[in-house]
Amino acid sequence: MSEVILEAVDLEYSYPDGTNALRRINLQVKNGEKLAILGSNGAGKSTLFMQFNGIFRPNSGCIKYQGQNISYKTKALIELRKKVGIVFQDPDSQLFSASVFQDISFGPLNLGLSEEVVTDRVKQALRDTETTDLEDKPTHLLSYGQKKRVSIAGVLAMEPDVIIFDEPTAGLDPRHSQEFMQLLEDLSMKGKTIILSTHDVDLAYSWSDRVAIMSKGEIIAQGEPGEVFMRTEIVKRADLILPWLIEMHSELVKKGWISPSSPMPKTREELLRNLPVKSDILGYPRQEVI
Amino acid sequence: MISIDCYAYSNNLKTVHPVEKSLFATISMIVCLMSPTIITPLIVLAAMAGGIVCTAGIPARVFLKLMVVPLSFLLISVLTIVFSIAPNPLGFWLTFTFNGLNVGIRYPDLITGVHLLLRSLGAVSCLYFLALTTPITELITILNKMKVPVIITELMVLIYRFIFVFLETATTIRRAQLCRSGYVSVKSSYRSLSRLFTALLGNVFVKSQELYNSMVARCYSGEIKVLTKKYPVSLRNYFMITGFELFLILLNLAGGR
Repeated sequence: MSEVILEAVDLEYSYPDGTNALRRINLQVKNGEKLAILGSNGAGKSTLFMQFNGIFRPNSGCIKYQGQNISYKTKALIELRKKVGIVFQDPDSQLFSASVFQDISFGPLNLGLSEEVVTDRVKQALRDTETTDLEDKPTHLLSYGQKKRVSIAGVLAMEPDVIIFDEPTAGLDPRHSQEFMQLLEDLSMKGKTIILSTHDVDLAYSWSDRVAIMSKGEIIAQGEPGEVFMRTEIVKRADLILPWLIEMHSELVKKGWISPSSPMPKTREELLRNLPVKSDILGYPRQEVI
Repeated sequence: MISIDCYAYSNNLKTVHPVEKSLFATISMIVCLMSPTIITPLIVLAAMAGGIVCTAGIPARVFLKLMVVPLSFLLISVLTIVFSIAPNPLGFWLTFTFNGLNVGIRYPDLITGVHLLLRSLGAVSCLYFLALTTPITELITILNKMKVPVIITELMVLIYRFIFVFLETATTIRRAQLCRSGYVSVKSSYRSLSRLFTALLGNVFVKSQELYNSMVARCYSGEIKVLTKKYPVSLRNYFMITGFELFLILLNLAGGR
């Protein structure tokens, strides 16, 4: 489980117009882990993702897939992109066909699979993203959230080992956002490695195994979410905020509602479970509820 | 435009094989255009109207509105054929005289005019049948099967998709301009419109780059390969189409003699 699948080593990249987008990025992605990359707008998250499957080529440094430097020859790139899929932020720039079915079949067909296999994969992807009922609709009549789910299906159908999601929950309503997180959980259970970028610190904190915080093209911190978010100055420097669970927890500890030794809650449920009933704290016996 | 597109995806004939619908529409159109009598166009017109309104379930109001569009062009051109001007009233079926000039209708011209009008309307109704019941994406697939060069069909796929993307962008920009008092005067209208086009042009370049990146990320290597949904082939439909077209062709032959 802990082998490194994807790695950025001393990655430097600047755009043709001279904007320094990535500065000495070192990041290891372990097989099967859930990694969240946090950062404000323009921190370089999307640019980093484009490096991971060879769309952009670094100025110096390199990307390694399963320990090997990736090659930028056409054939090798296609092999890499079979393994590393990206779901882009704007579904309108990813869906090229007006037909949902056609668009999802594009990726798997490019892998040289037979029509039967592709049809099965498209159907499976439609089921996984709950878009089966959209199959016959044209993409331009779909809502933003629906388009987003279709664009996710387009990548799932390729069955990559590593799936990168660029701001997946931006623009989704709470219900679909939650369903999407469930989908991620399912994918993770199947052993997929998942990388996502977000500004949503609460989501990153609860969901991920590891977080990396980016600011101005640099990774300024990475590690377990519980540790990284304790470093308030880092969070502030990246123009982010603390997850509400952590803020709430530390406030409760400070005011004596919870003992300082209690573990940091990972989910809302954990926090609520740890909260003692009022009478236990104030020292007099609990009143019976009639 | 947009409503035709919506109906193409939501009519009752959407599950019928697109090849069957295309054959029905194109053969009927050719037969209708070659018809020497007005009977075939009338039958085609009735069949298409029935197909569109009764079978496909598209509101008659929508169909009539669509038919009025070519009708206005047609009437103008047909009128110029039907009416003639001559100094001599001989041979006219109906005449009015203005300052010694006879404006009137010759009987054969009237027949030609009516014939032309009905043939054109019949042919247009065939096109509407196809447009209202078959999504463009399916038509492109058929073109592909007919070995139309890939560059053309791929362009059609992308253009069709991006018509809607840019339409949406343009609508948003226009709305934002209206909110900030754009288009209040003629001068500001010109300025607003030019800004809108500039913004759209910039958008085109950004979007095309993004699209290319996202396609490359899905292993695009120069050819857009897609799979189309399979439709059930109905022999019954093929028999019905063959029967209908044979009947029309025989009618044409009989009328031509």
